[in-house]
Amino acid sequence: MTETVFIAAAGIVSPLGNGLDATATALQENRTAIAPLTLFPLLQGTPLPVGQVPDLEDGPLPRTHRLARQAARMVMAEAGTPPPEMVLLGSTTGGILTTEDLLRAKSCDQAAYRHHGLASVADDIADFCGCRGPACTVSTACSSGAVAIALALNLLRSGQATRILAGGVDALSRLTYFGFHSLQLVDRNGCRPLDVDRQGLAVGEGAALLLLTTTRPDNPLGVLLGAGLSCDAHHPTAPHPEGRGAHQAMQSALRDAGLEPAAIDYINLHGTGTRDNDLAEARAICKLFPNPPPLSSIKGATGHSLAAAGAIEAVVAALAVSRHLVPANTGGRQPDPDLGLLPERTPGHRPVATVLSNSFGFGGNNGCLVVGQADTPAVATRKKLDDVLAIHGSACLTGAGLQEATLTALQAGTVVAGMLPARQLEEALPARQIRRVKRLARLALLLAQEADQATGNGVSPSAVFMGTGWGALSETYDFLTRLTESNEQFPSPTDFVGSVHNSPAGQVALHSRATGANVTTSGGDHSFEQALLAALALLGEDETALLLGADEGHAPLSCLLDPSISDGQPLADGGGALQVSRNRHQARCLVRLPFYGRGNDKDLPERLIDALGGVTFVTTKYAAVLAGIPAGSYQQGMAQLENFFHRIGQRLPLWPYRACIGEFASASAVAAAMAATFVEAGTVPGALLGGADLHLDREAKLLVLGTGKALTAMEFFRP
Amino acid sequence: MQTLIEELKGKLIALLNLTDVTVENFDENAQLVGGELGIDSIDVLEMVVMIEKDYGVVINSQEMGEKVFASLTSLARYIHEQTAGDAA
Repeated sequence: MTETVFIAAAGIVSPLGNGLDATATALQENRTAIAPLTLFPLLQGTPLPVGQVPDLEDGPLPRTHRLARQAARMVMAEAGTPPPEMVLLGSTTGGILTTEDLLRAKSCDQAAYRHHGLASVADDIADFCGCRGPACTVSTACSSGAVAIALALNLLRSGQATRILAGGVDALSRLTYFGFHSLQLVDRNGCRPLDVDRQGLAVGEGAALLLLTTTRPDNPLGVLLGAGLSCDAHHPTAPHPEGRGAHQAMQSALRDAGLEPAAIDYINLHGTGTRDNDLAEARAICKLFPNPPPLSSIKGATGHSLAAAGAIEAVVAALAVSRHLVPANTGGRQPDPDLGLLPERTPGHRPVATVLSNSFGFGGNNGCLVVGQADTPAVATRKKLDDVLAIHGSACLTGAGLQEATLTALQAGTVVAGMLPARQLEEALPARQIRRVKRLARLALLLAQEADQATGNGVSPSAVFMGTGWGALSETYDFLTRLTESNEQFPSPTDFVGSVHNSPAGQVALHSRATGANVTTSGGDHSFEQALLAALALLGEDETALLLGADEGHAPLSCLLDPSISDGQPLADGGGALQVSRNRHQARCLVRLPFYGRGNDKDLPERLIDALGGVTFVTTKYAAVLAGIPAGSYQQGMAQLENFFHRIGQRLPLWPYRACIGEFASASAVAAAMAATFVEAGTVPGALLGGADLHLDREAKLLVLGTGKALTAMEFFRP
Repeated sequence: MQTLIEELKGKLIALLNLTDVTVENFDENAQLVGGELGIDSIDVLEMVVMIEKDYGVVINSQEMGEKVFASLTSLARYIHEQTAGDAA
């Protein structure tokens, strides 16, 4: 059965204005808001045209957070109670604009960088709304907003939540402004989507949040009918020339919505205005739609707000169905005859029952949404999926080396925290494969290679779900450093491409030709758990995925950004990877995510125990606890753990794994790989538990707890 | 010219991290972009930046770029012409 997912309320902040009315008015007027950048001073040159949000309220938080807050305030004013059970936010920039200033000022104050991480935006919005469930960040470049909404749709359909706040946000920053410029993707004349003379995009900013519910609100803006995700697995930045991935994502969104192409009344294009995107998108549309419906891109009006774009355009789709508004292809003058499409020249006012909204991003990361009028019945197109994934193989990487070396060291009671030397990493991978990517992507590629070998079933994953707390720090730091050192003249295009959070997962997809969903999540110390949440919600019945978590240790950024790392402390990094599917045949281990909570500390362990099945179940079924207690939230984490043990009335055998594995955001991915290995072997090494080896009987389960800002529980058990 | 070619070989190997290529086995007349070396559009942009930074030569159109980056020899020739022009 498929639940209808309503768009109960929406908040939108874009260069066109604040809120639904201002947005609709600007679109009706066919007005562009693209204008030369004024947000930050440039060391040289004429400011390029951008989509900048005017008059954003000042405040102590970074600009991205303030944009998201503004959108959240609008939603809360409309539908604030009860609070959303989850917050799913697409973002690529986090607090980077503030971080850029801090790095230029050579600030070493860790507290000043506390809003850098992508997770800090979702956390702030969750706190603001009183959300006590997961606050997750999806970071899939320019499709982030759409992918976050797609994830929300599937979580709502599966019954895991009834009320989710989902959307996307990004602020202008030097990283994106100079990054796209270095790729020669910026049109100095503003943005002209689908135009014969188009020369690129206008980097923009904004935020949009949609409150999605399964209970019908009084005046829904529309319904979310379907979503489709895909990956080109073709090139780090360029789309597949025939729009292969775009076609696949549109097709699967339509299928998910139970609609034929002819049933679509309007397509809101990704339409960035770059030569390659518009051509690939046009080819994909012409292939799927023998007679394309009316279509347009609003990016000539708003600019390209990156992670916000998919959410802003989902709101525009809701405006189309609720206010009968068909936006014009603002900025375009003469349609490119090579595209074979005639975009809307002027805004239209006529009934629109269904909208297809496209979003495509770097890494060939595609997300398409189908929005319908409020009274459209949802069509059951998808079977309700299990809340369990089968693990077919695992790999991990620590300072001690790969899984076998790590396991041997752990059995001997040795600490494995550290960083695998760069040379070893380089030698383990083909030279050509890694020549353009730095440490994090290399860690991910090696993990993918190892998981593939360890699985040995000849099945190549079609989907990739990756969690990373901090993303590609090397590329980010190198890009910003060279930008500053060259007086903003010579930033590196390669580093920009590599700096996006989903670059490593894109690399993995590229090398394993994984053309299914490709989702990168970033949730601080719970990033891997968020990737598992996404995999559980999005992995199809017949698909196989690589589920991984990785972070790189970087001097000086790790110590500035991660509160668990103190100055002068030796860095640790690595990660873990699992090959997963829904097929339990020959599975080595099974995994669930029975709990993901945040909010009031005192009440969290009680909610955890309830979610696990109550005290008796916990004490009889769980043989041991692998607990991640990040140094940066040690007291909070210890209190959660003590409270948990107190409530179940006993201490279960405990491995506080960060003391061995090291302090890095995705250390829990290593713990997950270890847990899967222990379950398969039927033993937990005694050296970890401070006693004898622990034998696991058939029914015994291992609990991997993540403590700190959130409390999460992964459960590993035998098939 | 030959000195410039040799210099560019070293620079491209370092810039594009061509760890399996040496100055000795870098064929200056082979197809540079889209050929054996696996050099693509992102590398071209990286080379554009380097050439502007190190030689003060600007390559800002795709048509020009395609000609200039045909081979390492054509690249050296273009830089040579442009810088010789400046000197005159």
